[in-house]
Amino acid sequence: MTDGKKTIALLGQPNSGKSTLFNALTGLKQHVGNWPGKTVEKKQGSFMRNGEEFIVTDLPGTYSLSANSDEEIVTRDYISSGAADVVCIMADSSQLERSLFMLSDYAGINVPCFLVLNLADVAKDQGKTIDVSGIRNKLKIPVVLMDATATKKYDDFFVCLEEAFNSKAKLDTSLLENRLESIDGYKELKAVIPDNLIPGCSPVWMAVKSIEGDKVVRAKIENSLKGESKTAYVDIISKFDRGALLTGECKFSFIDDLLKDSVTKTETNIKQTKLDRAITHKFWGKTVVVLLVIGGLLLSFIPAVPLMMLGSVFTAIAVPVRSALESANASPIITGIICDVIFQSLANTVKMLGFAFGITLVFGMFEESGIMARISYVFDNTMSKMGLQGKSVMPFLVSFGCTIGGATSSRVIDNWGQKVLTIALAWAVPCGAAWAIIPMLATNFFGWRAVLVIVAILLVMLVHIWITAKVFGGRLVKKEDRYGIIMELPPYHKPKWGALFRYVLGRTKDMFFRVIKVIIPVCLVFWILSYSAGSIEDSILYKVGTAIEPVTKLFGLNWQLFMAFVASSIGKEGAVGVLTALYSQSGTIYGAVNGTNAAVANSTQLLLSNISGPEALAFMFAITFNVPCVVALAATYQETHSAKWTGIITAYYTVGALIISCIVYHIGLLIM
Amino acid sequence: MRSLNELPAGAKAIVASIDGDTRYLSRITSIGITPGCSIKVIKNDSKRPMLVFLRDTMIALNNNECKNIKVEVRGN
Repeated sequence: MTDGKKTIALLGQPNSGKSTLFNALTGLKQHVGNWPGKTVEKKQGSFMRNGEEFIVTDLPGTYSLSANSDEEIVTRDYISSGAADVVCIMADSSQLERSLFMLSDYAGINVPCFLVLNLADVAKDQGKTIDVSGIRNKLKIPVVLMDATATKKYDDFFVCLEEAFNSKAKLDTSLLENRLESIDGYKELKAVIPDNLIPGCSPVWMAVKSIEGDKVVRAKIENSLKGESKTAYVDIISKFDRGALLTGECKFSFIDDLLKDSVTKTETNIKQTKLDRAITHKFWGKTVVVLLVIGGLLLSFIPAVPLMMLGSVFTAIAVPVRSALESANASPIITGIICDVIFQSLANTVKMLGFAFGITLVFGMFEESGIMARISYVFDNTMSKMGLQGKSVMPFLVSFGCTIGGATSSRVIDNWGQKVLTIALAWAVPCGAAWAIIPMLATNFFGWRAVLVIVAILLVMLVHIWITAKVFGGRLVKKEDRYGIIMELPPYHKPKWGALFRYVLGRTKDMFFRVIKVIIPVCLVFWILSYSAGSIEDSILYKVGTAIEPVTKLFGLNWQLFMAFVASSIGKEGAVGVLTALYSQSGTIYGAVNGTNAAVANSTQLLLSNISGPEALAFMFAITFNVPCVVALAATYQETHSAKWTGIITAYYTVGALIISCIVYHIGLLIM
Repeated sequence: MRSLNELPAGAKAIVASIDGDTRYLSRITSIGITPGCSIKVIKNDSKRPMLVFLRDTMIALNNNECKNIKVEVRGN
């Protein structure tokens, strides 16, 4: 119970439709955070029903209740903590035999529960008929057959829910026990385990986990037992070898007993569709996936563009506000903070959210339709070399367009460490803004040899990714967590846009507050550093930049280039503008970054006459591999939920870019 | 008895036994692979996970780890 409100926990294997149900129930009333002390995403929401508020906790999508991963431990601890009044166990009706495993693993836990047989529509299409009352009589808990995407037909679900709250029915384990008793030593084991040792868990459940070799449960029981019973317990469990196979067979036999007479099915045959054959093709698979992701990126602009244009509204409002403030003789500092920092941050945030909205919608569609699982399959081998899942290929590809999108699309990666590592690596991919200025700069300085510069940048990118994977890989994805893929490839579904749309809207609202929290302070600090009442020479940035110029010169960056480098971590597209402002002594640095300065004629000539070849080369590498932009930084924070890791990655990229710049500069001096 | 990863696409088999540590066994049983269950190989390309079909579900498995799964091949 949470503050006397009724709490429901959703439990189910991946693809059981848990998120669909969660989103349908809670709509916009959801909150995403982390489980205390764990790097596992915690989703909670609420809804009103007959004047009563219900809290819904979406437990991590795991395949079982063992203690093999943080996700499983979080799930187990939450259930046994008693925080949920009722657990809603979900299964996929189209593959009941397999997806009821979670229910069989839950059997023996004394928290009241009810069963949702989801994807009823798919099962029906396959010609399966399911007799709910038969299953219900055997389990003695409420059971409902439903299609969670049909949000208008939730009556049966709510009836079940209310029944579960009123009756507090617990899952009947006798059917499972019939099977377990065939395991040699099970009865003796159960007899020595005291009741209520782990809150909410019966001796049946603890005996099963003991047989499976669950270290946490075994240690708890061993520590609580004394004398003869302890010896007896240790003696029995020491005899089990590969116990998970024994209990696994029992659980599936139990499921067979449960479904016998209740489910009729026609033999399901697997036919791979044309798309599936193309995606999983030995030679063409990767190409198809890359094209799909690029297509998805382009598609995401359709919903994104109108929202991104909304961002410009703030830029537009800033103009009359500025003149109003100026005519009211407000201090230039106040005017600057309001117009340059707050309005500009709002504009950037809304633009980012627009883009993130499109990306989340399109890649959410990939996930829901089953395409994502295929992408994982095709790139599993390549990505697992870096300790990542096959899905991680997507943020990399999207980052060629925009790192914000790359970070946002990492949402589909279900392991936190792998998610953070993916984002950390994706930052090394030169984004659209870098592609917009580097080829131009390179051509101005080096003519046709610009091609070589681009090739060199791509090679450095690969080395950067490789080194970064080595640097962070060990800490983010532990060796013992690097196991091979065991994953379901769900059948293709037609995505339900309505449900997806609601989910994405909910996430976007949540994102706004997180992102703005990052962008405003960073922009404010940068604004203060670059603020000058008169000429640029009054700014702190100028003073620091010129003071440390002897050092930055080692990296091939004179003070102007260094300041443009610093500015490029706010936004790369502004880097050239900053240089122009500095060399022409016009406009402001802050204005240059945000593109609000007046245009300067002959800016190319200005740069060519002030910057040497090796310096230009060093500068291009420095900004390419610098922090992508402040919004990408905010998106990284939003997805990782970790200020610490966002900070580490930011510092790493700033230092890394300077090191690369230094190396490139000295190579440049040698060859030019 | 053969290892699962030796079977070509299209082969059908019954799982005889599975080796591995507690963690692996727990993961493989929770996705539905237990001794006695019948399994069909959909794809077995080198340098790719295996694709198998069992209990109404298509599952991707790390090719190397499939050495742990011993099967009895069944005629069509």
